[in-house]
Amino acid sequence: MRRSLAAGGLFAAGSLMPVSSALAGQATEKSAVQTGAHVPATLVDGKVVQPRRELPVLQKTSVLVVGGGPAGTAAAFTVKRMGVDVTLVERYGYLGGLATGGLVLGIFPLYDRSNKQVIFGIGEELMKKLDVLKYGIIDRGKAPTYPTIDAEAFKFVLADMVLDSGVTAYLDCWGVDAIVDAKGAVKGAVFESKSGRQAILADIVIDCSGDGDIYAAAGAAFEKVKTNIGLISRIGNIDEVDMAPGRGSEDPSKAQTGKPGGTGDARPSKGRVNDFNGHAGNSTPAPHMNWLNMRGPVGDALDVSDLTSMELKHRRGTWSNVEKLRQKQGDEQVYLAETAPQLGVRLSRLLDGVQKLTVQDIRGGAKFKDVIGYSGAYANAPEFQIPYGSLVPAKVENVLAAGRCISAEFDVADITRLIPVCWVTGQAAGVAAALCIQDKCKPRNVNVTKLQDILHRQGAYLG
Amino acid sequence: MTLLRRVPRRLIQLTCFVGAVVLVWPVLPWAIAPRFFQQVSPFVTLSSSIAARSIGVGAVFALVVAVVSSFKKRWFCLYLCPTGFLLENANHVGLRKTSWWSKCPPVGRYVAILTLVGSVVGYPVLLWMDPLCIFSSPFAMNKATNPVSVFLVCLGLGVLVGATFIFGMLWCVRICPLSGLQDMLYATRKALWTRMAASASSGRFNVARRVFFAGAGGAVLALWARRAGAARQRNSDTLLRPPGAVPEDRFGGLCIRCNNCVHACPSKIIHPDTGHEAGLAGFGAPVVKFDRDYQYCLETCNSCTQVCPTGALTALPLAQKNKYILGEALVDNNVCLTALGKKECNACEHACPYDAVKITWDEDQYIAYPAVNDKCIGCGACEVVCPTTPVRAIRVWTQKPA
Repeated sequence: MRRSLAAGGLFAAGSLMPVSSALAGQATEKSAVQTGAHVPATLVDGKVVQPRRELPVLQKTSVLVVGGGPAGTAAAFTVKRMGVDVTLVERYGYLGGLATGGLVLGIFPLYDRSNKQVIFGIGEELMKKLDVLKYGIIDRGKAPTYPTIDAEAFKFVLADMVLDSGVTAYLDCWGVDAIVDAKGAVKGAVFESKSGRQAILADIVIDCSGDGDIYAAAGAAFEKVKTNIGLISRIGNIDEVDMAPGRGSEDPSKAQTGKPGGTGDARPSKGRVNDFNGHAGNSTPAPHMNWLNMRGPVGDALDVSDLTSMELKHRRGTWSNVEKLRQKQGDEQVYLAETAPQLGVRLSRLLDGVQKLTVQDIRGGAKFKDVIGYSGAYANAPEFQIPYGSLVPAKVENVLAAGRCISAEFDVADITRLIPVCWVTGQAAGVAAALCIQDKCKPRNVNVTKLQDILHRQGAYLG
Repeated sequence: MTLLRRVPRRLIQLTCFVGAVVLVWPVLPWAIAPRFFQQVSPFVTLSSSIAARSIGVGAVFALVVAVVSSFKKRWFCLYLCPTGFLLENANHVGLRKTSWWSKCPPVGRYVAILTLVGSVVGYPVLLWMDPLCIFSSPFAMNKATNPVSVFLVCLGLGVLVGATFIFGMLWCVRICPLSGLQDMLYATRKALWTRMAASASSGRFNVARRVFFAGAGGAVLALWARRAGAARQRNSDTLLRPPGAVPEDRFGGLCIRCNNCVHACPSKIIHPDTGHEAGLAGFGAPVVKFDRDYQYCLETCNSCTQVCPTGALTALPLAQKNKYILGEALVDNNVCLTALGKKECNACEHACPYDAVKITWDEDQYIAYPAVNDKCIGCGACEVVCPTTPVRAIRVWTQKPA
């Protein structure tokens, strides 16, 4: 009995069933189930046991989107637009996920090899909303330079859209478990918030948690990966070094003309790290402000100790790097404006989907019958198609993945995790979920032609 | 009668000319064919064999040419040489201002002597004056990525055609070292044949003095060039030679500027040097440069090493070519997008075919940057994909001893 109580996922699934006879002997617990009053976890024989209890159902909805980042917001807006009831749940107090709270302000990869934009749809709509805001977005349509957004402007746009669109949203609300029926099909998710542990029942759940928390809890197979975890920051008073000679830049318009002098011209020494005195970070819409990426060490994004140590070390390291930056002539007034509220977790769980997107696929320019969008060219990878199959778990029903946790090999996921691609998968998952409701089918049985047709009409680029 | 005797020679010449084009183009599926073209020249084969202290299969052709030429004066020039054919035709339509140079001494044979003596010292000084190399060089034009390279590969033949057009057969008659060598072979054979061995050198002080000065000049120039080459290898940061290249002190001499390697490279990374990288002694010799939008030294290719007629580029099997160290990739963290926190970039790490570049987190500096390990052979795969402008953060530099 104790074992079954301790097993979180199963416990939650069972929590909506009638009170188990196993608990009948314990009067306090029995009354707790009946009254809904809280019973704390109990120490039994040196082990912490959580009593079995019924969870209050916060909401019943057609489509539940877990995670309010780029993929989650794109999915929720899309479902709502198709006239289907949707609920969006977000762990932090704002929307936008890593694009706002993670300060991943660079919107890439947007373009193909020939610098043609290949990502449109909801992402383009969001950027258009930023276009009209002062200090909202810069470097739009200047391929190969990618646009950079302002985190606060984007938070505003998303909040504005949620308030106006009628999407039901819960913020500060952490999706912690899946709800499954007797056959193991997903029926909703469990959340933890200041209101306590609550359930939301849904016909389709879109897992945009980034870490695949919901599909993992529902028993879908996945690959767990570890990669670098950083913390992005913004530094102020940096603009005077923007045009410094010899500094590398990807933007030809920002590169100085003539012969590069100083930095970049001399032979770098081997086996020794150069002094970090370059032009740090990239410009943002906010004047005199750069965003500074950090790669960070490899860590386990599903391990609270790793996360904690990085939160602490990264903030210490960022501060000391800014101090180093200030020692350089011209940068004496640089200050640390903020470190991102969220760690820059890149990848954690990768779904085992109906179709796993492989390195071979993208190198060979694979064409998929169920293409739902494109990723732009990134580094030496060309632009590539994303199949609907990479959003659908191989086994578990009623759940779709979108965002960084979709089904792809590590090296491909390293691209599909980026902001615009999350918009693409989010929008596609949204349309697919809405179609499941409208056509009363399972995600794996969605009419792909119809899905593509709707995506196309919504302005998405499918090639 | 004269006319009748002339027609078949023209035909043979035309056939040889077409044959030369077919070999060098190369129309043949046999990729290493161009190598044997230059090896037909006894001047190239003799000098390079002496200088490289090794002899190849192609020497058979050169031997045949040498033997026939020693019996029939300038047989090669009259019948086989495609450059000669081209120049004869240029002369035919040209101005033929022959008067001033007709009393000029036969420079060609002294060029040959100078080069042969240089070869003994390990540096065949003027081997690039061989007419077959000059002929084949412009064929590399389709691999030239800029006007300067086009100019350099066409320079030799252009000058010869131009000079012949104006002055007549100045080059063929007086300057060409291959004809000079043939003259010497013919004279030597004749001298031996008629048992007058002494007559070649005795009695004509002028000739002996010229031979001595040419020989001494060859030795001095060769020594100077080798010292300069060694210094270049020590001092240059950016000089990269194609795979299989002999050490820099001998490369400038052994390389005959035939541009076979430039022509053979599918990645278009081999360029004739303007002298910017390797100075006057290295003028026109191939250097490797990695340009954006072009490929790197592919792990699937060893073509350049297979087409070199003189062994300036050692013929390396693919597996060995992939171990040949062309240079070393070094990273400037003040330019690198990752080190500067500008972007999620790992282009170099992904591009490296040898697993030699890893984006590494440095806990002390609290930054990440590409770290290059010992597996790097300097193929340039990282350099061509590095997105920074105008200076690339990761570049291949001349390898220096640790």
